[in-house]
Amino acid sequence: MKKLLAMLLALAMLFSVALAEEAATSEKGVVIYGSTTEITGDFAPGAWWSNGATDMMLRDLTNDYATVVTNQGGELVVNPTVTKSLETTENEDGTKTYTIQINEGLVYNNGDAITAKDFVWHQVLLSSPLITDLAITSSAYLNYVGGQAFYDGEATALSGVRLIDDYTFSLTIAADKLPYFYDLNYAAVYAFDIEYWLGEGYDVADDGEGCYITGGEFTAAAIQEHLNNARFYAGPDRVSAGPYNLVEFDQAALQATLEINPNYAGNFEGQKPSIEKIVVVRAEDATWADAMKTGAFNFYDTITDGTQINTAMDIMEDEAVAAQLGYGFDYVTFDRPGYGKIQFQCDFGPTQFVAVRQAVAMLLDRNEFANTFCQGWGSVVNGPYGTGLWQYMDSEEWLNENLNAYAYDAAGAVQLLVDDGWVYNADGSDYTEGVRYKKVTAEEAGTYAHNVTLEDGTILMPLIIEWSSSENNSVSDLLNVMLVQNPDVAAAGMEIRQNIMTFDEMLNFIYRDATQGEKYGVPTYGMYNLATNWTPIYDVAYNFTDDPEMVAAGWNTNYLFDETIDQLTMDMVYGVESDDVDTYLSIWQQYVQRWNELLPEIPLYSNVYVTMYPDWLEGYTQDSFWDFQQAILYCTVAE
Amino acid sequence: MGKYVLKRIGYIVLVFLIISLLMYALYNLIPSDPARAQLEGVRQTLRPDEYETMYRQLRAQLGLDDPLIVRYLRWMGLWTDVDGTFNGLLQGNLGYSQFFKKDAVDVIVEPMKNTIFINIFSTILSLGITIPVGIYCAVRKGKKFDQSMQVVTILGYSIPIYIISLIFMFFFCVLWRIFPIMGSRTAGITYANDWEAFVDKLYHITLPVIVMTFASLGGMTRYVRSAMIEALSMDYIRTARAKGLREKVVIYSHAWRNALLPVVTSIFGWFLSIFSGSVIIENTFALNGMGRLYWQGLNNQDFELVLAIQMFYTVVSLVGNLLIDVSYGLVDPRVRVDK
Repeated sequence: MKKLLAMLLALAMLFSVALAEEAATSEKGVVIYGSTTEITGDFAPGAWWSNGATDMMLRDLTNDYATVVTNQGGELVVNPTVTKSLETTENEDGTKTYTIQINEGLVYNNGDAITAKDFVWHQVLLSSPLITDLAITSSAYLNYVGGQAFYDGEATALSGVRLIDDYTFSLTIAADKLPYFYDLNYAAVYAFDIEYWLGEGYDVADDGEGCYITGGEFTAAAIQEHLNNARFYAGPDRVSAGPYNLVEFDQAALQATLEINPNYAGNFEGQKPSIEKIVVVRAEDATWADAMKTGAFNFYDTITDGTQINTAMDIMEDEAVAAQLGYGFDYVTFDRPGYGKIQFQCDFGPTQFVAVRQAVAMLLDRNEFANTFCQGWGSVVNGPYGTGLWQYMDSEEWLNENLNAYAYDAAGAVQLLVDDGWVYNADGSDYTEGVRYKKVTAEEAGTYAHNVTLEDGTILMPLIIEWSSSENNSVSDLLNVMLVQNPDVAAAGMEIRQNIMTFDEMLNFIYRDATQGEKYGVPTYGMYNLATNWTPIYDVAYNFTDDPEMVAAGWNTNYLFDETIDQLTMDMVYGVESDDVDTYLSIWQQYVQRWNELLPEIPLYSNVYVTMYPDWLEGYTQDSFWDFQQAILYCTVAE
Repeated sequence: MGKYVLKRIGYIVLVFLIISLLMYALYNLIPSDPARAQLEGVRQTLRPDEYETMYRQLRAQLGLDDPLIVRYLRWMGLWTDVDGTFNGLLQGNLGYSQFFKKDAVDVIVEPMKNTIFINIFSTILSLGITIPVGIYCAVRKGKKFDQSMQVVTILGYSIPIYIISLIFMFFFCVLWRIFPIMGSRTAGITYANDWEAFVDKLYHITLPVIVMTFASLGGMTRYVRSAMIEALSMDYIRTARAKGLREKVVIYSHAWRNALLPVVTSIFGWFLSIFSGSVIIENTFALNGMGRLYWQGLNNQDFELVLAIQMFYTVVSLVGNLLIDVSYGLVDPRVRVDK
């Protein structure tokens, strides 16, 4: 019986092979996007709940009627397809009002008209006390005048958000949020259909005191079920306003299918898509190359790893692959808006001294490191930027002239240490060999574990740097070889000790988060290796604060207390009007220069990313802040 | 029998409570902060004081500031939630996935269906092959077929499944292009009916099933073979042959039935394992199954989801063990379970 059953099953499988063989390769004109991040199936706007990269991409592809958007360079611009006019009024009380008139004639994918109400109702929801019970992550109530009172339940309407007529609304921003260089972002709101999200009958009204939700019970219990259904639904009844419609999401296969929205009026440049269908499928690191070769998907976005990029290049050069698939591959490269780095904690142990941080930089051949790690697909930067940022592009020459590149120089590193007083042996005699020591004050010595106190009370600090690195990290492995095991480091009298731990544990040490355990509250590691990326909104205003409460809350994770750099980071965004780019750039350059001098971090590499796509796809471009969801609108299928 | 089963159910409840406490405590030892993780996305948009306020609110909302035992009892449904209601495991709430931002039970449903679908094929195919081969090898012990099967099964048993997967993928997907390399559905396909969807799914899971079957052949074949060899060496087999019974009757009615007792444990284990996914197979073939979900939950530190999965498997294992013990009595009347 079992044999018979097994044979039947085997036959069924063979049968399926015969039937399904025709459907095995991708067809021309359909972009099949291999995603290495999970599609969770949460299609709620923005990051109300989750913020996975692929989820966000799908949301952007289906909703992009925003009043303000970012352009190809990452700059905030008014979207003329949606916004007829945007007027700014500086009020006497320091608040600022954006009065926005939207264009008439805009419709959702189901043909329903888009009005001003569609832009404001969700701001009321996101500013309401309901967000706690709905588990929505939102800080919108902090932006608007009257937002805090509405959030606290003291007001029944959100006074900072007003409906003026069917196509006009206004947003008034609280005074404590201004001036702000990126303040145009406060005026960036999307159109979402209230009936689809909250249910039939719900509406938004303004009786002169501000906006509020009406037409139904506005409580978490009343709207939660409908909201959840709207979040996770994909299909013909999904109401959205973007270049594509999410026609299907197969949860079992983790596959999302999008088709052109014929009612879409275009992006901020009036561009409409011409690629009829996009399918997003799950890709695995181990098999993505074979999947590309066999046509399981034909688009692989933002390849970061040097080895994978070289594999992609091999596939593109392989004529046999192209012959079998019936198409070849092209690629674009673009710079990462960030870098991998060594991060120091600058308030205890040897890394509190600038000379030590600079010496570490000079004992690491960063060009060689970047070249080895990125396998030629990366570069080195000398400050807190990536080569994809507009600030860098506008200041490249100035940065090259004014920043210290900290080129590899073992003798120079030793000289820095000697000049800084690292000239003793452990017994207080003049330095001969081994680890260097420095005479420090009791304040400088702090609770650093390796200090030595001589009989006369002199405190000597050894040049031992405790390094915390996360497990299974190839950057850590390479750093170990090129820095820890570098004979020049030992010859310079420095010792770097690697301590491997989970990423979360490392974060606890970085944040000195004693709530997770007492040991984390004690400064222990002076050096970490991490990575950082920037968004178009480059705001580091509180990253060098010296306010003890803010530091305790984990804002200044470098623990660098320098008045100049703190002031510069504040002035850069909170001291400059949004239209004063020259002043902003000048302060940004001063900040970068000061940062480069104090060196709270050592940038290790800034990747060059590669995106691989089928050669029948014409017009594809990509940049640090210009992603697939924006770029695909400009693509056509080659004849 | 009834008394025995009741007693075992009592033990199951006790063991379940102990395991749940241990698992919950273990996951809470891992240094992580769900509130911090949740707010990381909006951190840059907030002033420090605003961030701190939201962070404190979120910790209170998630109940993170309460002692471990309170959080455990709340998770179990034996302590009131922050909203004053009992809403835990005992009330059917398996928890909330911080990664998927929805109830854990809603996250588990689809992967569970996929895993069961794949495992049913794999288990039946494996048993359908291994039992006859094991019996055949035992009957022809030491012959060329038996010797060659010993080599094959040792190889199958020894080679890690990810190596088998990659080798099979290379030949069947890349070189010969017989099977798709990943997923459980052809990208972009629109099905005309359910039958087409079923065939397409079958087509996609064929290679993973073949790999799983191949990898599991070694262990069970050798197990059946050794059980049969022992049974065939018994005096009653000699007696049966001396009575002039046909060899087929001797093997299947006399030897196999007696060899079944040790084998039944493994067979039950296999059927229970249809609920558990393979981390390696599902990740390699990009299949949305329980193994992959579990692995993903651990990587994302989505502990309520992981705990929900583990508690489900705990129940399956405990009930499974009871069924195995009861089944002994059914297979072999000499084994009594009524005390």
